Amino acid sequence: MEKNNQHIKFVVGLGSCGIAAGAKELYEELASKMGNNCNASLSHTSCNGMCFKEPIMEVFYPDGNYLMLGNVHKKDVDKILEPLLSQGAIDEKFIIENSRQPDKKEEFRQKQHKIVLENCGIIDPDDIEPYIENGGYEAVKKVLNTMPPQQVIDEIKTSGLRGRGGAGFPTGLKWQFVRNNTGEKKYMICNADEGDPGAFMDRAVLEGDPHKVIEGLIIGGYAIGAEHGYVYVRAEYPLAIKRLKSAIKQATEKNLLGHNILNSGFSFHLKIKEGAGAFVCGEETALIASIEGDRGHPRLKPPFPAASGLWGYPTNINNVETLASIPWIIKNGAETYASYGTEKSKGTKVFSLAGKIARGGLIEVDMGVPLRDIIYTIGGGTSSGKPFKAVQLGGPSGGCVPENLLDTPVDYESISATGAIMGSGGMVVMDEDTCVVDVAKFFLTFTQNESCGKCTFCRIGTKRLLEILEKITEGRGGMADLEELEELSGKVKDLSLCGLGKTAPNPIMTTLKYFRDEYVEHIKENKCRAGVCKELIKFSVIEGSCTGCHLCYKNCPVDAITGEAKKIHHIDQKICIKCGMCYEVCKFDAILKG
Amino acid sequence: MKMIHLTIDDKSIIAPEGTNIFQAALDNNIYIPGLCYHPKLSQFGGCRLCYVEVTERKHTRHRFACAHPVSEGMVVKVNTTEVNRHRKTVMEYLLAHHELACPTCNKSGECGLQNIAHELNMSPGRFKTVRMSAPVIRDNPVLELNRNRCILCGRCVSACKEIEGVGAIDFQNRGFKTVIGTAFDRPLDCSFCGGCLAVCPTGAWQDRTLGFSGRPWEFESIPTICPYCSVGCTIVLNTKEGSVRRVVSNDKLGINEGNLCVKGRFGHEFIHSPERIKTPLIKKDGEFQPARWEDAIEMVSDKLKQIMEKHGGNVIGGIGSEKCTNEENYLFQKFCRTVLGTNCIDNISNMKAPFLNGLLYKSVERGFFTDSLKGIENANTLFFFGVDITEAIPVVGCMARKAIQLNSANVVIANPRNIIFKNTAKNDVRLTYSLGSQHILLNAIIKVIIEDKLVDLKKIESSTSNFSSLCSSVQNVSLSNAEQLSGVSLEMIRSAAKLLTKPGNCCIVYGKDVIEDPLGEDTIKTLLDLCALIDVSNHSDIHPGRASIFCSRYHNNSQGVNDMGVVPEFLPGYVDINDAANKEKIEKLWGIKFSGNIVSKNSFNLIDLAKNGNVKSLYVMGADPLTEYPNGNEIRECIKNIEFIVVQDSFMTETAKLADVVFPSSTFAEKEGTYTNTGFTTQRLNRAISPVGNAKTDWEIICDIAKKMGQSFSYREIKEITEEIKKAAPVYSGFSYDRLRRKEFHWPSLLLDKIGSNKYTFFAIRDKSLKVKGEKEFPLVLITGASMNHQGAYSAKSKALVSVAPECFVEINDKDAKDMQIKNGDMVMVESRQGKLKMRSKVTRKSPSGIVFVPDAYVNIPINMLIYQEYTPVKIYTVLDN
Repeated sequence: MEKNNQHIKFVVGLGSCGIAAGAKELYEELASKMGNNCNASLSHTSCNGMCFKEPIMEVFYPDGNYLMLGNVHKKDVDKILEPLLSQGAIDEKFIIENSRQPDKKEEFRQKQHKIVLENCGIIDPDDIEPYIENGGYEAVKKVLNTMPPQQVIDEIKTSGLRGRGGAGFPTGLKWQFVRNNTGEKKYMICNADEGDPGAFMDRAVLEGDPHKVIEGLIIGGYAIGAEHGYVYVRAEYPLAIKRLKSAIKQATEKNLLGHNILNSGFSFHLKIKEGAGAFVCGEETALIASIEGDRGHPRLKPPFPAASGLWGYPTNINNVETLASIPWIIKNGAETYASYGTEKSKGTKVFSLAGKIARGGLIEVDMGVPLRDIIYTIGGGTSSGKPFKAVQLGGPSGGCVPENLLDTPVDYESISATGAIMGSGGMVVMDEDTCVVDVAKFFLTFTQNESCGKCTFCRIGTKRLLEILEKITEGRGGMADLEELEELSGKVKDLSLCGLGKTAPNPIMTTLKYFRDEYVEHIKENKCRAGVCKELIKFSVIEGSCTGCHLCYKNCPVDAITGEAKKIHHIDQKICIKCGMCYEVCKFDAILKG
Repeated sequence: MKMIHLTIDDKSIIAPEGTNIFQAALDNNIYIPGLCYHPKLSQFGGCRLCYVEVTERKHTRHRFACAHPVSEGMVVKVNTTEVNRHRKTVMEYLLAHHELACPTCNKSGECGLQNIAHELNMSPGRFKTVRMSAPVIRDNPVLELNRNRCILCGRCVSACKEIEGVGAIDFQNRGFKTVIGTAFDRPLDCSFCGGCLAVCPTGAWQDRTLGFSGRPWEFESIPTICPYCSVGCTIVLNTKEGSVRRVVSNDKLGINEGNLCVKGRFGHEFIHSPERIKTPLIKKDGEFQPARWEDAIEMVSDKLKQIMEKHGGNVIGGIGSEKCTNEENYLFQKFCRTVLGTNCIDNISNMKAPFLNGLLYKSVERGFFTDSLKGIENANTLFFFGVDITEAIPVVGCMARKAIQLNSANVVIANPRNIIFKNTAKNDVRLTYSLGSQHILLNAIIKVIIEDKLVDLKKIESSTSNFSSLCSSVQNVSLSNAEQLSGVSLEMIRSAAKLLTKPGNCCIVYGKDVIEDPLGEDTIKTLLDLCALIDVSNHSDIHPGRASIFCSRYHNNSQGVNDMGVVPEFLPGYVDINDAANKEKIEKLWGIKFSGNIVSKNSFNLIDLAKNGNVKSLYVMGADPLTEYPNGNEIRECIKNIEFIVVQDSFMTETAKLADVVFPSSTFAEKEGTYTNTGFTTQRLNRAISPVGNAKTDWEIICDIAKKMGQSFSYREIKEITEEIKKAAPVYSGFSYDRLRRKEFHWPSLLLDKIGSNKYTFFAIRDKSLKVKGEKEFPLVLITGASMNHQGAYSAKSKALVSVAPECFVEINDKDAKDMQIKNGDMVMVESRQGKLKMRSKVTRKSPSGIVFVPDAYVNIPINMLIYQEYTPVKIYTVLDN
């Protein structure tokens, strides 16, 4: 992508993950240290998926050589800037990839197949030009010049693309419904209200390649006959909003968006609506209510938004990832896209790897790849090196998949069969230090807090479920509670109004299914084998190992530890709040947890 | 509409396509438990109780009745074991933390939650949780919110938003912490219509006026008609031990679908007010002395006889009542015309706008009143001209919002003030015109309609008689002139014209601001022309749209009093009194002969006569001209000169204070009879309690005096009077007192057949306009109007209403207020050449600069005292509080 061959070009990844890791400081330091060096230029891109290596910088040399460095911080600039400029030797620990060392390939990047993320971490998301140079807006041109709307829909149908927001409804069919409905106006909405804990696919796409989403929206608007569009993006993604705004502005200036796009006679006006941080607003009817200025309450369906959506007009809502797949499909053909993936789940899927995983980040793989490949080959196993326990798929609406099901291929049907859901693509990995009951409690606390409160089952049912889980984790549970959990979960799942309630019990149901013994342990033996449930564990000093270093004494926030220097210490169980601080700080493994 | 056949619990029923199972069952008296569904409100689907077994297309599944539409051949089972088990679960959830405070809950006995718990034989559930104990919110005088009893069915939120258009309450927080509340938990600030209370299925919303003065099962429920504004809502009085304890609504009765305003729902305390006049009063040496009925009647009869003998009956004036029943007003005019031998009778609405009756009758004849007020619900376009719907006739606002919701109706509002009408219409055009420009504005709209060919001109030409004269009259209208004079941009005029002529039903409502303008008569005539244009053009086989026009009258029976002929120019039923044949017919019915000079050739105004000393005695039934008629000071002077004054009223009004004899009359709750509302619908009152104190109904008092004066007014019950009205007033000929129990009577409908082939003749009045300005010393222009919270003595004596709106106020534009250095809430003096009154300032943008507005509904601030001409100039200055 480097055009000017006279320069050495530095590119720093300024996605939210990079910025959080210190990439901004790195960028500023580089800028100031490089000064007016006319041999080098500095620019930025977004996250390339390797969040575990952030801050990342890339170096492009005029001779075609290339370097990718990871974990580079502001303090390292002095050390590396000179060797970089002179192509000298760099400390190996920074190097992720080096064109002169073709064998050194980051395993993380293998087995991936980037369609949605093709530009992420490569182009400058603040500038429309690199996007256009990489073939951007070709699909819009192709559609507007050569394809009637129905043909576009047929193309998407052929591609087999299914909604990436989680439910997996065929996108072409969805578009067809809206196209078939007549209305004075129609709306095309992009749902970017990504709220699952541990999911950041949509954010990365919006931050890294906003034009791709805009392009998808224009094509969708053209296909269904909508001239107005909204991007509903959560306000907690300020960078995504900023980049999206600038992208809309630039596209409008180039007449790729707005009135009479490229003189085709088709107009498409796009607005951004910032969500106020309600998880339930990711549900399409709640999202519509929120745009209308109402409280984000899901409403009864039918009528479906395709018939009566925003302001009562036919409305189509697609997820960010779905829309970002559209331009590629139009450019490369539906058959090509459909050749990837499995029979029923075509194409690729983006996942965010989080939790206790060695290589956390953003990945895109063909549908049908086994979970094991993702977690071990790409993700590199658990970060702690301890045995893998389970992976939570689909966030709070999803479920836990245990070790023995890791050969499940990632496609909509196979994942549903495990009791989890594909969801939007969040994967939270847990090792044996994670207590599944606590995990279920965590997700249920989330759904209970985020339930809109409208329907009885979701509002009160989840509260009762949570109360039972609290009882169990506090050692007050009985075996009858397990049956009650199962019964209540079934009721909440079957009878709630919207997707939030219908999927809220999934974490409980899957953990009960695969890890029932742990629940039983909590109840019968008052034991939490992962040592997480505070009420069930206690910290004590192993007298033989204690050297009396006094470190635990100093760190205990409630002064529960007594003991003089060089003498054995004691923990007063009445005062101890089980924060685990002593366990963490003890250098002699003299604190016993359990 | 396609009809669907289905079976619910072995009962075969038919329901229109698109109905949900819950509504279909409700329409067929099949009970499905449910707490969030309400026929008036949009579906919510939150409570999850209405779970039923549904078999359709050979599949048996479980569905929620409120969310599932009926389909052909569907079989629904409401009470299977599985379904009941489910319901029990929901109830167990709902009751787990619910404050089980039935013994101390006013709702106990009529509580949806209690009823269903009882039906399902609920036992204490599995969950041992903490019961909610949030503090009860009592931040306003009439409603209290107890969140511990709330099941979050969302009905109140929907009612507030959809019916009242206010949206004062909504859900707060999320998850289990979700509650109902106001924005930022500020005190409830709304119209206090009590819609939330009416739809609440539990004891979460409570009526504070009820206190603990009765349990639901102890009450007797008597439906009757609201005594306040001219809409004529049905209210249900709950009585216990002979006193009215509260007002509730019934969705199935009357024209208002259970919707009420604050006056209707909470303004009942005047009935038992200690200030009621309870015995007849005779003035001796300037002081009222209680008297026995016989003595008072005798005195009045003697005195009237004396005056008649001395001067002839013509010197006695009579003022009928806009608040009394049709029967009482009928008897009143009969009493005046036969017993006293005077035609010098009138009512205040006619005194204010003598042209209105004729024009209204003409519009009825033209078929612009094919439907009752309820017809507004079928409107596709709503045009409110010079009427503040929200303040004057609030429940019509609810009907309009229903039209907006169901038919996506468009709204056009023309008013000199920026009135508030909250709604969700996709098109809501506001024409805020300058005072005095209403006529030219209307002409400009007509001009645009004709010039832009927004209506089918050919059709209009062929079906009206003088379209060309309308065309030539509007030809002279200069649009730029209209734009300049009215201050409404041409663009707005054009968009209003476009909306008004959209296919479908167009409803026009005009009111006080139009009627009481000096150009009122011309404006209404032009409004009829506009109505005709739309009606003729819209009405075809393809678009069966009609245009209708309603006049917003002031009091509950302002229409009826005119219908009954309490006006000098008409006998009952708009029969011309100057026509000999008509006179003869009525003489025959009444069995009398009118005195020869009863009809004066010149039309006259009672006040003018009194001014000239031609009124020696005045008989006033249920009216207070001193405060209700403009120019109150002048009237006071006139009335003071009158020899003998009799007043029948429930309260000591300003007029009653000047009387020689005051008869205590009973209120609406204590009597039978009929009211005719502003949409010409006649509805029946039912007696809920016996008269308070020694009060008597107005008709009984009249009969007693007539009898004392030697006439046979021997009516024993209301029905006898209605039978006579039927004979006397042709428009009431189809009227039956007994049938009114089941269905209201709408007299224009009877004239429908008579609306024949004669073509509409346009008035085609050339555009006129006035310049309305203040004077040097009195720079502001005063306009008055209705208030949602008050209307006369009734509301002033109702504690709840007084606490909702304790003080009268003057609305001042924020710019003017800044210039005058007046702040919101300051005590100010409003002064005109006629006098001055002290009130609170309300700084707002509702009134445009140069105009101040004072509601004329507060009896303690009789703003009419200041008025001596249309648009009286006033000045305002701050004064010390108290």
